[in-house]
Amino acid sequence: MTEHPLTRLLAFDDQVRRDRRQAPAFLHRRDRRFGLDTEARDDDTLVNQWLTHLRRFSPGSQQNAGGRDRRLQRWDRIGLAFMAAGVLLGITTMLGLLYYDGSGRINVTVLLAFLALQLLLALATAVQSLLGWRPWGWLVNRSAGADTSVLQHLHPQLLARAAQGGGLAFTLAGLATLLVLVVVQDLAFGWSTTLAAGAESYHRLVQTLAIPWQALWPAAVPDANLVASTRFFRAAPTSAVTAVRWGDWWPFLTMAWLCYGVLPRALLRWLAGWHLRHQARQRLYHHPGLTALRYRMETPVLETGNPDADASSAPSLDTRGELQPYPDSPVVIRWAGAGGEPLPLDFADNGQRQVFEAGGGATLAQDRLALRQAAAVLALAEQPSAIVLTRAWEPPTGELEDFLSEAREQWPTDTLVALVPLATDPSRPPEPQQLAQWLRFSQRQHQARLQVSRYDAQPPARAWSNGGAT
Amino acid sequence: MSQPPLFAVVGHPNKGKSSVVATLSQNDAIAIALEPGTTREHHTYPLSIDGETLYTLVDTPGFQRPRQVLAWLEAHSLSASDRAETVAAFVQQHRDDPRFHDECELLTPLINGAGIIYVVDGSVPYSAAHESEMTILRWTGQPSLALINSIGTDDHSDTWQAALGQYFQVVRKFNAVTAPFNQHLSLLKAFGQLEPAWESVLERAVMHLSEQRAQRRHQAARLIATALEDMMAWQERRTLTTGQPADAERDALAGQLRQAWYRHQRRREQALRLAIEALYQHHRVQRQEAELEWHSDHDLFSEDSRQAWGVSRKYLAGAGFGAGALGGAGLDAVTLGSSLGTGALIGGLVGAAGSYFYGDRLTLPVMRLGPLRDGLQTARFGPVQDSQFGYVVLGRAVDHWWHISCRNHAGRDTLDLAPADSHWLETLAPEHRQQIHKALQRCRKQKPLGSDQRHRLALAVEAALEAYSRWRLNPG
Repeated sequence: MTEHPLTRLLAFDDQVRRDRRQAPAFLHRRDRRFGLDTEARDDDTLVNQWLTHLRRFSPGSQQNAGGRDRRLQRWDRIGLAFMAAGVLLGITTMLGLLYYDGSGRINVTVLLAFLALQLLLALATAVQSLLGWRPWGWLVNRSAGADTSVLQHLHPQLLARAAQGGGLAFTLAGLATLLVLVVVQDLAFGWSTTLAAGAESYHRLVQTLAIPWQALWPAAVPDANLVASTRFFRAAPTSAVTAVRWGDWWPFLTMAWLCYGVLPRALLRWLAGWHLRHQARQRLYHHPGLTALRYRMETPVLETGNPDADASSAPSLDTRGELQPYPDSPVVIRWAGAGGEPLPLDFADNGQRQVFEAGGGATLAQDRLALRQAAAVLALAEQPSAIVLTRAWEPPTGELEDFLSEAREQWPTDTLVALVPLATDPSRPPEPQQLAQWLRFSQRQHQARLQVSRYDAQPPARAWSNGGAT
Repeated sequence: MSQPPLFAVVGHPNKGKSSVVATLSQNDAIAIALEPGTTREHHTYPLSIDGETLYTLVDTPGFQRPRQVLAWLEAHSLSASDRAETVAAFVQQHRDDPRFHDECELLTPLINGAGIIYVVDGSVPYSAAHESEMTILRWTGQPSLALINSIGTDDHSDTWQAALGQYFQVVRKFNAVTAPFNQHLSLLKAFGQLEPAWESVLERAVMHLSEQRAQRRHQAARLIATALEDMMAWQERRTLTTGQPADAERDALAGQLRQAWYRHQRRREQALRLAIEALYQHHRVQRQEAELEWHSDHDLFSEDSRQAWGVSRKYLAGAGFGAGALGGAGLDAVTLGSSLGTGALIGGLVGAAGSYFYGDRLTLPVMRLGPLRDGLQTARFGPVQDSQFGYVVLGRAVDHWWHISCRNHAGRDTLDLAPADSHWLETLAPEHRQQIHKALQRCRKQKPLGSDQRHRLALAVEAALEAYSRWRLNPG
């Protein structure tokens, strides 16, 4: 697809504006995907292919692809208006310039001066466009509101193109009118000037002007005789000899109008079109959206993580169990070295109470030995109970579960087992959330004679409070 | 092509394995709870570039019966050479045994060639209880690295470091909740050093992650610039059909429009926050939106907000001078420099004076009624005519961005967006201040920004993000 650079620029700018509302991650994925598939490297082809790619999957957004863009249609209308005005003005101007009622002559000097003025205006329009100046900007803004699109930066070039088009129409209409009048009227041309210029110098001037076509059409180059014989003065009478040659100026005037009116306008009209296309390309190349697009195309999409979120399936942290006071037990199992050295007095070996090591750094054989020895002590007790000291900050593991399960098998059936989690500093009570995990563990065991107790070295706290572990 | 490296994050239950994975994989959807057994199956978190996996992190359950596993392994091994095979045999034999479900889940990636990332909690004392776990891991023969992740406030990391050094090739400290982004990258590089074949691929991953980080900041600036533009230019309109309203009706209408305008601005700001959070893959913060309210005293429209995030009259005058001078320079250009810069000077002075005199109050818009045409009249509320409003929005947005961009995905705390006590915009370069000021002025006059102006505003906001980060590191 080959689009006018202006159409392409507008379509691209519009797409970039639409993309502003899209999530950056989506844009990156979309354009990276396109970037991996395309081999286009130059900006024009790249943008064309990108727009085609997007349109292919969005049939609803074809309005810019098929029909002419509404903003450009407006400029088309402006261009047509300029041309229509140019035709009308060209005809009327030429009719005015060639007005001849038989009483005088049509001054060739006036025609040449008008051509020079017309050429000057054409060049001024071109310069204004090249400089990007828009002194008439307020007029365009008022008629169409603020044009926020990238098009507003191209208003000077757009208007220059329209103006040069109008100028071309003006000169063509003027040329046509000149030829028609030459055919249908007997025009009397002469030359006159207030300045003290002689026929010779005037002849040199017209010969210089006629250089471009002197080889092509020699009859359109006025000779010295014509120049000398068609000079007229306001007060001078008309001679019959010169009257014959009054009409001989028309080939020169036709070629002068063509060469210094029509051709420069046509050239400048072409130049204005080229400049517009060039500027549109430059705007596209420097469009911030294109830099961003290239970046998205060239930068790999980085994805981390697993789409299967499991945060919502986290276990419930509700704790229904309550802390119970720990019994005065003849057996204390120190699981994984809980309690440090020395043990708090409530759990220390004192002859009445025996302490066994299990779990953690102990071997499985040591665990089994501790179970057997504890069973022997508990067998002698009237109300058998055992305290299992654990490290409050360590979560209960399967090994403890196995240990308690084996204890249940080996110890007397009515043995009360109290899990007592101890903090890193055993003299201080463990954190409520640490106790909560032990309460939940205890609940999961479904053992009626298993409980969780809190040890607090401070006397008031030793009154079996169960607050704080919910 | 060789398989991408696999890293299994293993350890004792509840020591922050999932936190480490959440932070490194930028995934806040990973379940993190203070409950052992939260992770029962292993989950894979691949890092992919254009669909090509560079490496995969595996979150695993914790050891439940390490001494029993080790006893089994020792009973079934003849020499050191068969240890890895013995571990594989253990998994093979106990795959359907519910008692060893967690061990099989965590050992499976290791017998498939995963590198070991062993996580311990450095805030609790070292215990020999972990030695059986470390021994099992050593038996797998896989490259290994130990991470000391501190969950609590105490510090026992030195004893952990000494003990772990005997079992693991590399020992690193890494706080999954607070570690800054450069530490994430440094850790990933350390992963690459475990095995020569992994180095280049991890280097590549680090490079892409760094680029992604920079790109996110760029995109965040664009999002903030767009929101700023929208909020500064927002106008609430209502078409009236009954002609000129009576004074009482007019007040009621003004109240309705004001409320609608305020509601829109608050929603737009919320939408910006959600977009920034989504950009940084913080989806859980999004769901905690009810907890993400600005403190009521620091509501978007409160005087406190203006005090905290607005700018001083001096600042506004400076920015106004710059913006005015830019306009005045146009006059100099028209006169082809023959005005000798007078245009820029006059423009600058006018801009500075206007900004100075109107800069100390937060003026909110009032309702305006348009002319009556064909029995219809339009009531308009907004846009806000006070640039301070733009600076309040910008300050709050930048502050929110900073918190989100520095937030690790293991973080579960409520985002606390307390206003700062001194002004950070003072550290922004003058040309960026001017760009921001000029854009705010243009928006409040309802002159839409062109692509170039929008681009320049985004660049200025990006510079503001940088300035804010610097200011946060070195306040005052």
